Amino acid sequence: MSSGRRLPPWLMAAPAVLMASFVVLGGLLTAAAQSLGLLPLAGSPSLTLEAYTTVAPDLPSAVGLSLAIASASTIAASAVGFMAALIIVQGRWCGRVVAAVSTLTIPFPHIVGAASVGLLLSDSGVLSRLTGAGEAWPQLVGGPWWFAVIADYSWKESAFIALVVTGALITRSTGYDETAALLGAGRLRRLRHVLLPLSLPALTVSATIVFVYTFGSYEVAWLLGRPSPEPLPVMALRVFSSASLTSRPEAAALAVVTAIVSFGAAFAAFALLRRIPLWR
Amino acid sequence: MSNDLVIDGLSKSFSSSSAPVLNNVNLALESGSCTAVLGPSGSGKSTLLRAVAGLEAPDAGRIVLHGTDLARVSPEHRGMAMVSQRPLLFPHLNVLDNVAFAATVRGVRRRAARTDAAHFLDLVQLEGYGRRPVTAISGGQAQRVAIARALAARPAILLLDEPFSALDPQLRSTMHELLVQLRERLAPTILMVTHDREEAAAVADRVALLSRGRLLQHDRVDLLYSRPVSLEVHRLMGGTNEITGTVRDGVHYSALGDLGLPADTGWPDGPGVLVIRQESISIQDNTRSSAEYGVPGIVTDIRVLGPRRLVTVDASGIRLQTEAPWGRPLGAGDAVRLTIPVSARALVPGQPDPGGPTTADTATAVISTGR
Repeated sequence: MSSGRRLPPWLMAAPAVLMASFVVLGGLLTAAAQSLGLLPLAGSPSLTLEAYTTVAPDLPSAVGLSLAIASASTIAASAVGFMAALIIVQGRWCGRVVAAVSTLTIPFPHIVGAASVGLLLSDSGVLSRLTGAGEAWPQLVGGPWWFAVIADYSWKESAFIALVVTGALITRSTGYDETAALLGAGRLRRLRHVLLPLSLPALTVSATIVFVYTFGSYEVAWLLGRPSPEPLPVMALRVFSSASLTSRPEAAALAVVTAIVSFGAAFAAFALLRRIPLWR
Repeated sequence: MSNDLVIDGLSKSFSSSSAPVLNNVNLALESGSCTAVLGPSGSGKSTLLRAVAGLEAPDAGRIVLHGTDLARVSPEHRGMAMVSQRPLLFPHLNVLDNVAFAATVRGVRRRAARTDAAHFLDLVQLEGYGRRPVTAISGGQAQRVAIARALAARPAILLLDEPFSALDPQLRSTMHELLVQLRERLAPTILMVTHDREEAAAVADRVALLSRGRLLQHDRVDLLYSRPVSLEVHRLMGGTNEITGTVRDGVHYSALGDLGLPADTGWPDGPGVLVIRQESISIQDNTRSSAEYGVPGIVTDIRVLGPRRLVTVDASGIRLQTEAPWGRPLGAGDAVRLTIPVSARALVPGQPDPGGPTTADTATAVISTGR
């Protein structure tokens, strides 16, 4: 096809954008309408903030806990994923092993991963038995520090970050790394002045995806976390599954709050990206 | 003058290739000199440069810089800087910070590093470009920045790996001039890899000719052309004329007749191949006086080489080629006389290949002339 007859880019992207918009905007609008009393399961519609005022007392702890879990998971996954990417782009045998492990990790569903982590880290789990720690084994599953939840997210999402950052580095890191070395930069200086800046856009984008995902995901925290306090998505699921039909607007309000925080994180990430020279 | 860098018996093989990429290469670089490593693709010249830089570990041999064996010295501590075909400017830094990179990683304060970098940008005639992102400069400017960045590192040896091969001919000439100017001002010791004979001649004092991992000849540029040590060197340097004969008392006897050899060299008696650069052979004017001298022949072919013509002449059954300027009308079948200056004659041992003597098509193909 000649360049003069090519479709404009916006038209080529239109099917995907329309589909995504339908799902995202449709879901958001429905949740917003339900949270504002405009789509009641029973009774007539009336605009009200009652659902938000009902959940408001529990929101600070739920949002705070979700933010903490998502932040810790994102930081740990980013650090591990970045290190894994650096090993992969070296091109040696250990890099190939890390790439294979990362690729195999991604298809596992989170619920399977959570079950595995539970079997591994719980009081009566494999590690506790292998080490013979008995009652001295720390409360990693269902404990106050949500360790198992963060460990599961860090493991699963670090593989995703590793592959995204590898994609950004693989074709160019060697040349820049060698150039920097010959200009007198040692390993740490090359990491700080070359490899990290080159990875930063991919790292920021993938870390944002991980943050938003872990902030809104319920199954791992539901399986491996403690019953109280509840993270935001676990609370939303519990309220949504409640027998009371009147609690649906409250679940929708929690979903809307989750979406607002997630959009905020995405906007913050894009603001950060605009400050990165390589992104510009 | 002292030697900055000595390469002693360097060998290197890769598992993917049965033949060694470098085979017992010996080379010495004088301080402040520019040596061009010239050779066809796959001759091992880039591997040699990477070994000197510390980016490839040699299987055997030593690389000695200022008397220190570099075997256990990592690339960042070798005091070298490299400019390759791609400028490899760091995309997250602007032009000035790219040039300031070496100082920055040495821990120099940012303001001092930038002041120093601005000086080197001036040297490559890019004053005022410092704040630009590297994506906002042309290919030639990017290569200038890469050279400034390398020079700002104050390398003991500046390594250039075909740095101008991606540039157009006009820009390449400009870069050659720039390199000559930089050598006059800073006198860095340069080891440069190129596959372009004209580029080597334009910027280097000496040329190390590499083929299949072996160093064939390391000499002044003019001697590589006029006094090749072997037929392979003659062909790789683009020479096309090879005349089999016998030498006796400084005279080469062949079907062309008896041709005296330069008296500045002691030529051994016995069989030998007379080699003559095609640029050195001239076609005489058709005047009665000059027609009595020179080698007679018949023009068999004329090929256009831009500003000159490659004229093939059959002289007593020997095929000679000469480069003739435009002007005089010439055509196939014309009878001509050729002048072969004594100083242009050189002798190499061996016999021309049955398929490859005097035609020299292979020789002109393997190393680019840059035309």
